[in-house]
Amino acid sequence: MSFFNDIVFEAGVAARSLAEYLGGGGLRLGVTGLSRAGKTVFITALVNNLVGRARLPVLSASAEGRIARATLEPQPDDAVPRFAYEDHLAALTGPERSWPQSTRRISQLRLTIEFERAKGWGNKASSLTLDIVDYPGEWLLDLPLLAKSYAQWSRETLEASAKAARAPLAAAWRGFLAGLDPGAPAQEDMARKSAELFTAYLKRSREDVYALSTLPPGRFLMPGDLEGSPALTFAPLPIEEGVEIGHASLAAMMERRYEAYKTHVVRPFFRDHFSRLDRQIVLVDALAALNSGPAALRDLENALAEVLQAFRAGRSSLLSSLFRPRIDRILFAATKADHLHHTSHDRLEDILRLLTARAIRRAEGVGATIDVIALAAIRATREAQIRHGGRTMAAIVGVPEAGETLDGQLFDGKTEAAIFPGELPANPKSAFAGDSIALPEAENHWRFLRFRPPLLAPGACPPQIRLDRALQFLIGDKLA
Amino acid sequence: MSEIRPRPRAFRLDDAQIVIEPQAEAIHAEVVEVPLDEGEREIETAQQSGMLARWRPGLGVLFWSGLGGLVALGVGLWVTQLVEDLFGRAHALGWIAAGLGAIALAALMAIGAREIAAILRQSRIARLHADLARARASDDGEAARPLIGRLIALYERRPETAAGRAETAEAARAIIDGRDLIDIAERALLRPLDAKAQAEIAAAAKRVSMVTAISPRAILDMLFVIAQIVYLIRRIAEIYGGRPGLLGFFKLARSVGAHIAITGGMAVGDGLVQQIVGHGIASKISARLGEGVLNGLLTARVGLSALAVCRPAPFGAQKPPGVSDVAPFLFGAGKDR
Repeated sequence: MSFFNDIVFEAGVAARSLAEYLGGGGLRLGVTGLSRAGKTVFITALVNNLVGRARLPVLSASAEGRIARATLEPQPDDAVPRFAYEDHLAALTGPERSWPQSTRRISQLRLTIEFERAKGWGNKASSLTLDIVDYPGEWLLDLPLLAKSYAQWSRETLEASAKAARAPLAAAWRGFLAGLDPGAPAQEDMARKSAELFTAYLKRSREDVYALSTLPPGRFLMPGDLEGSPALTFAPLPIEEGVEIGHASLAAMMERRYEAYKTHVVRPFFRDHFSRLDRQIVLVDALAALNSGPAALRDLENALAEVLQAFRAGRSSLLSSLFRPRIDRILFAATKADHLHHTSHDRLEDILRLLTARAIRRAEGVGATIDVIALAAIRATREAQIRHGGRTMAAIVGVPEAGETLDGQLFDGKTEAAIFPGELPANPKSAFAGDSIALPEAENHWRFLRFRPPLLAPGACPPQIRLDRALQFLIGDKLA
Repeated sequence: MSEIRPRPRAFRLDDAQIVIEPQAEAIHAEVVEVPLDEGEREIETAQQSGMLARWRPGLGVLFWSGLGGLVALGVGLWVTQLVEDLFGRAHALGWIAAGLGAIALAALMAIGAREIAAILRQSRIARLHADLARARASDDGEAARPLIGRLIALYERRPETAAGRAETAEAARAIIDGRDLIDIAERALLRPLDAKAQAEIAAAAKRVSMVTAISPRAILDMLFVIAQIVYLIRRIAEIYGGRPGLLGFFKLARSVGAHIAITGGMAVGDGLVQQIVGHGIASKISARLGEGVLNGLLTARVGLSALAVCRPAPFGAQKPPGVSDVAPFLFGAGKDR
């Protein structure tokens, strides 16, 4: 059955990519990132910089003045809403200056860049169509489920929840689970109660102080329009390896719903948006995990490795781009690099390289090109040196968001402050050492605050850090 | 973790106890040495063997220095005697001769100073090239920024580079990584100079092949080729900011020669086959024409090597030009460029 499913799935993917190739589809840029990694801000800044003709010195087509203009097009897929670029931009630059709300549903955008080619003969005028998809980062966590059976997923989730970092968070759910018999006849309220407690545990783990990342299924955190449907009413059960699941038992019902979740939710999402990417940027918010502690960092590493396994990397060829597109360039970017001084960026990149080491090895093994950078799609701070008590510190100056605290100070979201966020370790491995999570400020070596978006002159593009370098890596060769 | 790190802190901007300086000081980051690519290594070896060569006295040098010293002494003796004789005849004549001698001496010293300045300038450019290549290979932003400053300073007196200098300086102030920064500088500052140098090479190659094809005597066109090559090398050095004097030119010429020798006379983007074919077709039409093409190719090759060793930055974002880029007319095809 599963083999047949796979064949149908592959055929669907091949048919769609062939149709798209013939229909003149554009370059599909996969903006990948867990929730709060900064996908929406990245896409907004990317579009704004290209449409607003910002100076992007590292993007050679822009630096050489070869980009004539970039325009937003009606997107190809009628069933998917358009990315609310104007709304996000208005939120960022309006009088309130706030970051976009967390994304609740999927949306799509098509950007056409008209440029002149630097090489080749004949007509130099050319254009590149860029298709970008924005979606709730939580949903990405579902991709590893495609390869897992219900029993396997149950076992892994239970094992993870028993670990020191998570056990206190999962206590209520695990307590309820202890009184459950998987072999008992199926009862709807049992299932509902179990799913509720399980969801509460996942939501709790995601809070800023813990900043855990490996929390599938993603729709439990961000249900979209599926809230309350049976496909979302299941939870792991302690099932022994190799034991036959009894007919009409609770476990059987849970398993059926888990499979339904995979078939009706995860698979279409993957097929429609991720199976046909040409280029990929993986945005990682390492700072939130660093704020929380080494256990959160390792959890993030695990989540990224699992998620990135679902993507198809490799050298692309004509045949592959016809039927089975492969990602030939992957950029790993540590976002919010403006929250620390640029002298620490190299260390942040080292930490990110370690975080994504498994994914990097896999991608390099199959011939994809990769790069690792620290990036800020919108730069909210400026840099300064602070001399205090005979020591000089590399600090950043910006407006911390209301409610952020550091060093006994509570910020109101209006006053500017100079922040020294601490120093990242020279050896990235030492950031991963230890088992602590949700570290209080006094025990952690660093504290990265959130800042409000920068104040801009009307019509100006927001400043950025290495967004141009990211673009050069991702689409620079197509603009050559 | 035993290392002592400063704690995270927040400061109010109106705090009187702290001093805020807007510009950041460089903290040295760990840098991994990355091997340079082959073309770059060849250029640097060539620079080492000419422009950056240490002066090492050999037997021949000793002989010539001794002989030169003797000749200089003889000339000095002769001048003194001449002045003394003139004083003996008439006081006024003696003074005139002494004045002329002093002028000649001053001019000689000025020429010497200029020679030394030119050589220093040239070796400074070669060192800048090597440093930039290393900073680019290891993507070292902290090392690249002062080097970019030196590169900008090199062209400060050239009004046509104003826009490029401004663009580069702006990029150096922003948060841009070492490699990208050097690529920006290369594009903004050096690309116009590259175009100029390539145009010079193309013009020289054209002249040489034309003159060779129509000159009546072999000796004439040989002299012409040599003169053209000397002119071309000097011109390219000037375009990139070096002003070689006589000694500087010899050093530069050795570097160019070394580069041609290392790259095997051809290479840099061109297959030998292509060049032979170009020559072959032309020589089918006429032997003189074939010779003209060959001499043109030679001139273009020398020009490209001169370009490579005179350039203050390595080829990074730009591909090193090949013979077919500067002299497509030598390959017969009427490519419109």
